[in-house]
Parts: sequence; structure tokens; C-alpha cells
Amino acid sequence: MSHLITGMGAVASTGPDLDSLFTALCAGRSGLAPLKGFVPDRFRAVNAYEIDDRAPGGGDEPLRATRWLEQAVAAAAKDAGLGEDLSDVPVLIGTTLRELRSVELSWRDDIDFDVRELHFGAMLRRRFGAAQTYTVANACSASLYALALGVDLLDLGAADTVVVAGTDTITESTYGLLDRCYPEAPDRVRPFDRNRRGMLQGDGAVALVLRRESDGPAGGTAYARVRSVAVNCDAHHPSAPNAASIAAAMRQAHERAGVRPADIDLLMLHGTGTGLNDEAEAEAVGTVFAGLDPTPWMTAVKSMIGHTAGASGLHSLLTAVRSMRVGVVPPILGLDDPIDEVRDFRLVRNEAVQVPGSLRTAQVDAFGFGGLNAVAVVENTGEKVA
Amino acid sequence: MGRAGIASAAVTGIGTAVPEVTDVADLLGAEPLPATGDDPVRRLRGRGLRYKDRATKLALCAARVALVDAGLLVDDTLTVPAADVGVVVSTNLGNVDTVCDTVATIAKETYLGTSPMLLPATASNVTASWTAITFGLRGANLTLCNGPTSGLDAVHWARLLVASGRVEHVLVVGVEPANDPVRYLVDPADPAVRVLDGAAALVLESAAAVADRRVAALAEVGAYARRTTLEHAVSGVAAVDPRPVGLWLPPAGSDLEPSGASVDLTARFGECSGALGVLQCVAAVSWLDRNGFTNNTFGRSKADDVVLAAAGSGDFGGDDAAAALILGSAGGPADRVLERPGPKGVAR
Repeated sequence: MSHLITGMGAVASTGPDLDSLFTALCAGRSGLAPLKGFVPDRFRAVNAYEIDDRAPGGGDEPLRATRWLEQAVAAAAKDAGLGEDLSDVPVLIGTTLRELRSVELSWRDDIDFDVRELHFGAMLRRRFGAAQTYTVANACSASLYALALGVDLLDLGAADTVVVAGTDTITESTYGLLDRCYPEAPDRVRPFDRNRRGMLQGDGAVALVLRRESDGPAGGTAYARVRSVAVNCDAHHPSAPNAASIAAAMRQAHERAGVRPADIDLLMLHGTGTGLNDEAEAEAVGTVFAGLDPTPWMTAVKSMIGHTAGASGLHSLLTAVRSMRVGVVPPILGLDDPIDEVRDFRLVRNEAVQVPGSLRTAQVDAFGFGGLNAVAVVENTGEKVA
Repeated sequence: MGRAGIASAAVTGIGTAVPEVTDVADLLGAEPLPATGDDPVRRLRGRGLRYKDRATKLALCAARVALVDAGLLVDDTLTVPAADVGVVVSTNLGNVDTVCDTVATIAKETYLGTSPMLLPATASNVTASWTAITFGLRGANLTLCNGPTSGLDAVHWARLLVASGRVEHVLVVGVEPANDPVRYLVDPADPAVRVLDGAAALVLESAAAVADRRVAALAEVGAYARRTTLEHAVSGVAAVDPRPVGLWLPPAGSDLEPSGASVDLTARFGECSGALGVLQCVAAVSWLDRNGFTNNTFGRSKADDVVLAAAGSGDFGGDDAAAALILGSAGGPADRVLERPGPKGVAR
């Protein structure tokens, strides 16, 4: 069964809405900046893709992931014509780190935090009257995993409209441990480049509204069609990915959508800029799309918004929706010397490409710690924006 | 379609890893349990334990018991295809120890004082991740961190994963560890606040899987609702499934008294947070499984009685919502015992 995306919202280091995100991506403008949230002399890494909305001179603040989620959900709900009342609408939130930054601030720095805000239901209840809210902590594939759950709710007839979202803020514990892991501190995210040094995190949130296609877009716009979302688990390693399992997820997504690899026009790579992810993803893509010449157009948005963790899957997906509607694919920034494994891929580099002909179908990848793989297939509806 | 409007799923195995509990029948009783007993994580063997957090170790213990009980794990080998088995873990506070310890270390010693082995444990799915790796479970893998209702929500999502056809079998684990950061978050004013240090697990399967494997269903998962108030959650499931409630498993502080016997598990174990709902379901199954247990404090269940479990206070306690879930006896005559693999050993 296909479902329509009828409302969209996003917040990232590049700006407070989806328009500013897509404009920045197409212009090759990154949200990278010197680290502001933590005391810098505690780390070797010096940069991050932060949303710097803290009060001036006041240090870090709790509940920022919650704040951005609220903005993204409000934007998507408004866009879909739902307004502010989500009392009958399930809201599924994918996240890696929940409000754990607030826990850090509370435990170590004595900043007030109520544990009832650790998941996102409290805010969604206050602002939107929502009660069917689910915080799904599925690492960096979380929002795409949550999309699979939203699709299932519609397929099963358990809901008519679903909001699917993602949000994450950078925690000091993850930032510090990533710094500890890499041989050299990454200065930026450089997916698939030979000189990539690893991943830097990004702040952000994202939301979409999903309805069964047979029910129509109601008060929203039929921006795109979700054809399938496949999910699986490597059961292999707590952090290292597994190419065979990733390829299996891609094939499952194609099968569920009833498409062949040749039908995919645009591939939104997970592309974290880590040694292991980029190799495994390239190997899986090389296997699944073997023999295709040219391959789909490919890009990786983390090169400009950082790794937005639980939000990243839907950040890629909404970018794909925008790309298909206007026929423009943003570039991978900083990809100067591609690794051998991506030699035959049609990667968009340096600047955005205006795609001759139409982009009809996109594949979106999101992979997370614990070998959590989610792959979606979305399709342009061709409907004109009002 | 079942009473909930969505195909029901059967519970085929249960397990616990709670120091106070040596048999699941112990879950039900009127008195608080003394917080003593053998630490279940001492059962764990093998490499890599040093870098697993407490929640993960507890979860692995309970998961193994439930998988063996369901006959999905025999001699450490899965008896069904790995891709057909999903995992749903519920925990709210499972990894706060790693997060809090790490930022304290960074403040004292910079990032150089940390151990890179702890990186995966900063993400809240670490327990579900190790559970999948340990038992080779390659189906859909979810971690619900959904506040006080999280355990019941996890059982509901496990049922949905089966109903949607993504998997045939789901291991559900609810787990919370006891440590200083957890107690601080539960009650900043009381460093000695009692919190559960344990895990509960169950296996849910589709009707087809139960039939194919020729195993006995212990109970069926029925109607579920998550609403703004406890009253609405309870009336929501009662409207779908009006069978009499033989056992009521309320959230802490509830003044609702639907009918039947009532056991507040938080009065026995302390704050259970994300583990509560799964612990309630395991207790419910032990009460419903008339073939397996006869020594429950509350006697045998009647054929048509259901268990009503609820978690989260909703408006009366300042939680964002309350959830309610009904568990009923497995369909068919009570004496239809097919095949019951797996030992009913300690802590089943």
C-alpha cells in the first residue's frame, strides 16, 4: 500500500525550516562551525554542526532537542492542514540520544531537568494534545525506522494519519567518545572521500505527515508517495556495519516497493564520513546496483548538516522529496578524492546538478549503531506546489 | 482480526532477571519483596562483559530464559530463521549511567580519560543491539524509551510487528538498572529511593508461528490503548474487550479499582519505569497459564477472566499519558497442551 507525504517540516544547523535547509544544501552551504555547546579545551575536535540558539553568554541549555522537535512537528502539521490538534494522531519520534544532553547537564552541572521530559511525549501532549506518542530510540536509523512503523499503522488500519519525526542534539558524552575513537579529529564530514577522518554530529529535527493514498491528502499537499520502508538488524557488531545485511535491507525495500534497482533515479546515501560506514555502504550499493550504467544520482547531506543522528534518515528523505520536485540534486561537499569503491557511482560533487529529464523514484538509506538498517523508497507525485 | 481490531499475538515464553525473583509466580503477592537474592548477571559467561552496561547484562539474562522457554533457543541455537525474529526493548534509564559517568570523566580528565569501548552505550539502543548480537536475531529491532508506559507500549509494538508481517516472532524485554544516576533521576531528593534492578522478557508470536512450531500459547495479547488519562486508557480497552477482569495490575498510586484481585508491582519492587509493563505482562502470563502454575497467591484464573495491566499515571500523576493492555488466556480448550519445549527452571 502506498502512502502520501502531506506535510513536511525540518530544522537543522543550516536554518530553522525546510526551505532554508534545501536552499543551503543546493548552494553547497554548510552548517559547520566552531564548537559552542561544551567547554572546548576538554576535546581535540573543534567543530560541530550545531543549532546555536542558546541564550547569549549563558552556557548550554536543556531541552533543545525537544524544542526543535516541537518546531518541526508544528511546521509539518500546519503544512498538512492538521493545525495544532494531534489528539487523534499517532506521533512517532526517532532519536538516538533523546534528552540525554539534559541528563548530562542535570547530573554534572546541576541544571534543572525533570525526568518526565526524557522522552518527547510530555511536550507533544502539552503543545498538541497528543497521547499516542512513541519515542523510538533506534540510533541513527531511528526516524526512518519510525517511518516503517508509521507505514505499518496505516497499512493495518490502526490510524488514518500519522506524524513521523526525528530529533537529536549533540551530547557531550557521544562527542567526547567519538573524539576518543578516531585517529585524527575530523574537521568536517567528508563522505566517501579518501581523506575522511570520521563523523561530526549535527543538531536537528524533522517531521512529516503521512496518510493512506486511497484517503487522499486531505488539507495537505501530496508531496510524495512512500512506496516502502524496509528494516532489519545485522546482529553482528555494536558499532561496525555489515555490508551484506545493508544490501539485504536495500533489496527488501525494492521488493516491497515493487521496483528494480534501475528504477531508482536518486540515492540518498547514509554517508557518515567514517571509514567503516562508507566502505560498507559503498559495497552494498555496488552489489545491489551492479551492472547499472549510469547508476542513480547519489548524494549525502551529512556533508553539510553533519550527522543529525536519529533525525538524519528523514532529513535525507525530505531532501529527496524536494529534489524530485524541482529536479535539482545537492552536492556532497568536500568530496575531492573519492574512494575506489565509489569510482563507478554517479556522485554529485562540488555543486548541485540540474537533472535533465525527471527524477521519479528515490532510495533513502539510514543505518545505525547495533546494525539497525532502514531503507525507504519514495516516489514523486508530480503534483504542483500551490 | 482479534478483539483489538488487529490480529492478536500469542505469548509463548517468559523470563525474568530480578534478584528478588526465583520463580515468576513470586511476582504476584501482597507484600514488598526484600531487595536481596542472587544477582542474575552472575549467570552470564563469555567475553566482552566488562564493556556491557548493567541494563544490557540483565536484559540478556531474562532474554535467554524467555527464548528457551519459547523453544526458540535450543542448545544456544535458534530454531527459526534469524530474520524472522524481532527484538523490542523498553528502557528509560538503561544507559544513563554510561552517559553520566562519561561527562564526569570528561570534566576531570578531558576526552582522553574515556574508553572508546563505551561509545555504543551512549546510544539508547545498546541493549537491543547486544540482545540481537548475542542471540543472532536479525528481524526488526526496536527500542522504546517512552516514559512510564514504555513497557506496555513495547508489547503493543511487538504485536504490531507481527501483525504487519515484518516478523513472526518477537522477543520483548523491559529492563531498568539500579545505580546512582538512575536514583538521582527518579528522585533527586532521595538518594535511597527504591528502584527495580532487573529485567523481564517474553516472546510473542503470530498464530501461524505457534501452529507451525506446535508449541503451546501461554496467553494472548489483546486490546491496548494509550490515552491522556488512566480512566480513558482503561475504558478504551474495556470498550474493545468487555471480558471480566480477574487480575488488575495498576500503575503506582492508582485509585481505580476495576474488579478482581489487584497487585501493584511497584509496591513490591520500587520504581520500575520502562520495565514495568513487561514485568506486568510476565506476571499476567504466569497467572493466566493455568497449565503451568498452580501456586499463585491469587489462585487459578477462570477461563474467561482477563488480566488488565496499566502503566503511567496520565493526568493524575503528571505523566504525559497512561497505557492499558489486556492479556487473556490462549484460545482453545485449557487442556490442549501441544508440546512445551524448554525447562521451567529457575526464574522462568
